[in-house]
Amino acid sequence: MRSGRAWVLVVLYPVVALLLALFVAYPLLDLLGRSVLVDGGFSTRAIGRLLADAHVRQVVWSTLWLGATVALIGTTLAALYAYAMTRVALPWKRVWHFIALLPTISPPILMALSLILLYGRRGVITHELLGLSTSALYGYRGLIVAQVLSYFPFAYLLLLNLFQGLDASLEEAAGTMGAHAGKVLATVSLPLLIPGLAGAAVLLFGYSLADLGNPLLLGGDFQVLSSEIYQTIIGMYDVPKGAALAVILLVPALLLFFAQKQLSRRTAFASVGGRGTLRHPQVNHPAVKAGALLLLGGVSLVIVLQYATVLGGATTKLFGIDNAFTLRYLLAAVVDSRDALVDTLLLAIAASAVTAAVGLLAAFYIARTTLAGRGAVDFVASLPLAIPGTVIGLAFALAFNHRPLLLTGTALIIVVAFAVRALPYSIRSGVVAMHQLHRSMDEASVTMGATSGQTLMRILLPLLRPAMVAGMIFTFTRSVTTLSAVIFVVSPHWSLVTPTILSQMDRGDVGEAAALSTILVLLVLAVIHGVPRLLGRDWRTKD
Amino acid sequence: MQTLPAKALDIRGLTKAFALPGGRSVVAVRDFSLRIEPGEFVTFLGPSGCGKTTLLRMLAGLERADAGDILVDGRSIRSLPPHRRNIGMVFQNYALFPHLSVFENVAYSLRVRKFEDARVRSEVPAALTAVGLEPLAARLPGQLSGGQQQRVALARAMVMQPDLLLFDEPLSNLDARLRVQVRGELRRLQKSLGTTAIYVTHDQDEAMSLSDRIVVMNGGCVEQVGTPEEIYARPASLFVAEFVGQVNALPGRVVARTERQVTIETLDHRIALESKRCPADDLLVLVRPEAIRVSAPAEGGSLQGVVEDVEYRGDRVEYRIRVGRTLVTAIEASLQRRMRIAAGDRVGLVFVEQAVHLLPVT
Repeated sequence: MRSGRAWVLVVLYPVVALLLALFVAYPLLDLLGRSVLVDGGFSTRAIGRLLADAHVRQVVWSTLWLGATVALIGTTLAALYAYAMTRVALPWKRVWHFIALLPTISPPILMALSLILLYGRRGVITHELLGLSTSALYGYRGLIVAQVLSYFPFAYLLLLNLFQGLDASLEEAAGTMGAHAGKVLATVSLPLLIPGLAGAAVLLFGYSLADLGNPLLLGGDFQVLSSEIYQTIIGMYDVPKGAALAVILLVPALLLFFAQKQLSRRTAFASVGGRGTLRHPQVNHPAVKAGALLLLGGVSLVIVLQYATVLGGATTKLFGIDNAFTLRYLLAAVVDSRDALVDTLLLAIAASAVTAAVGLLAAFYIARTTLAGRGAVDFVASLPLAIPGTVIGLAFALAFNHRPLLLTGTALIIVVAFAVRALPYSIRSGVVAMHQLHRSMDEASVTMGATSGQTLMRILLPLLRPAMVAGMIFTFTRSVTTLSAVIFVVSPHWSLVTPTILSQMDRGDVGEAAALSTILVLLVLAVIHGVPRLLGRDWRTKD
Repeated sequence: MQTLPAKALDIRGLTKAFALPGGRSVVAVRDFSLRIEPGEFVTFLGPSGCGKTTLLRMLAGLERADAGDILVDGRSIRSLPPHRRNIGMVFQNYALFPHLSVFENVAYSLRVRKFEDARVRSEVPAALTAVGLEPLAARLPGQLSGGQQQRVALARAMVMQPDLLLFDEPLSNLDARLRVQVRGELRRLQKSLGTTAIYVTHDQDEAMSLSDRIVVMNGGCVEQVGTPEEIYARPASLFVAEFVGQVNALPGRVVARTERQVTIETLDHRIALESKRCPADDLLVLVRPEAIRVSAPAEGGSLQGVVEDVEYRGDRVEYRIRVGRTLVTAIEASLQRRMRIAAGDRVGLVFVEQAVHLLPVT
């Protein structure tokens, strides 16, 4: 589409650029300024002093150590899971897939909650079944379990696409040249997959850095940067120190982000080109099948147990001790936390709409125009990918806490925090959809007498709709399940579900926390499966 | 769908340059002029990058011309936006709207112009019937074969009663057999509709079989305009000769000239031709391979050579024959061969004199 024919959209370009500058670039620069600007001059003294503190150094090491462990274990697990799903002839693959994806649509604190219920000091398994009274769950090991369970599915999805997309003819070619199966794996498949595996590890490292809920609930004495920031700000009201800690957290996060960008560029050549084939032979060896089934079944059982425990916690008087059925907690969750539920719903829907609109416009500028500065727009809009939710939330709370941009306590600051975090994904999927939409679509439309407005309404929007709907559902899911990004911007006027669950757990109201978590997961499942059904078939459906 | 308007098209001095990164620019089309008569089928033929598609897109209004004018029946359309030009276009990838049924794809131009429903319901089936796809009206484009999609694209372009039909390599996504079939249908349909059509391709076979006239383009400029026979038998340049088929280009010179006849020497062999066909003294003698008869050495007169390679191609046999230091290609219809010839044989060569074409050495 030539810019001349889409002037309406081009007019909005400065508006989108300004929004991105104001709500992405400005809060981050403001945060950076707070820790490196002293009396108007650049100084690393504050950060230097912080890093000289033995406790802070310990926290930094713990953060990196935890991240590396989760990355290693999570990637291994994800790779095995993806391999079993793509290359081994197994039954019930849809079930294994569905279960593995459950954690991607639930709040990470749900994992902490059910781990405590199952394996804590009074845990159903540790205490009731095994008679132990141990706090082994709290600390490094518990966090590894919680984070691996919460985040390995994201790595699994990434690797699943990679395994499925790997050109089978490359392996066939190696076979025809005399390599046996093991040799093919070592000389062709693995080298092609290594950038992807590294990418998955980097992704998991990033998720671990950004996690706040699990370290708060399960960390115990094992402090990481995100929980340290939270306690510095909320517990000690030391804003300058909290901001400086956030800047320290940004360093590894940004490094990981750029590493991931490099790696994803290198995975591109491994996927099927014009005439490759995707028909991978399925392993039928009984021992391999048994091993794979054991892995999928075992992991799925652990995940299902987590969700069953939350459901059990929500519907019994005192899960594991007094298992009498009760609706009390669910009712209480609906009644007492009604505001949080309604606010979360409303604000997440608003954020979905905003993200879809801004994301589509930004994608249009990036993919379909030659406007000056669109590279910068792309860069700024994708920054939130790199930045842990805690840091974004804190940056928002600090940057918009004074006039003329006093947003603290408003719904707007929450909607923007949601939107900013989902925007990079929305833009990416919009760009992909527009690249798939050949220019000849709009050219054909105008040669047949349609104006640019008619082309937009009759051709482009209907064709982009599936991508937009998927993007909106993604934004909604991510928004209602995040804790880290909103913990610093919630207010008495606008409360949200995940911080409510956190405070219920702090108070020891485990039943209500479990009930609210259950409702949240059901809500997300209903949206993911219900919205596309409500909207009916789109043009991709074939009968 | 009985007939379409037949309009004359005047292209005058169209020029288009594209900016390259680094401030340079490349001229895609340079000062192109051509008059196309009502109902004529004209093909722009050339290698990729010769400017033929840019030219077509300027006619449709999808590219803005830097200079020049486009007149349809004497009326300039240069300043009109594409949606007001009323020019139908069939795209290389068909550009069917995947979310609309075949019917709605064809109805699109009528709907956006807000024609009443009754008219849509009579004209769309008529257009679909013309391309033989009426029974598939309810399908989505994704459920059609490549050839069917191609016909929907054609019906969609016809139904708008365009002043001009443009085709941008519309057959390049079809397999070879279907391509030949569809191009026959295309030609018949265009003739019966009577519309003026412009077709872009890099395939000389397609250009030859479809066109009333062919415009051979190279580097943004016209190399030659002519009927398929003119282009093939009397190419204006070595580029044209080589682009539309195989050719032996042999250096030659005039050794004797009378009022009516010239004698030309090439390959140490003399041929006599009408003098009006001879443009200069230093010449390039163009002989198509099928205009060389291969025979036993005794019958071949003075021109002889040794066969280096024989390639059997089904309908024809190709010979590479060494004559002195020159390698000459000759082609014979394989079922009309009078003798078996193998590599290493000595043969005689006879040029079909009326097929010899002379170009000045430039």
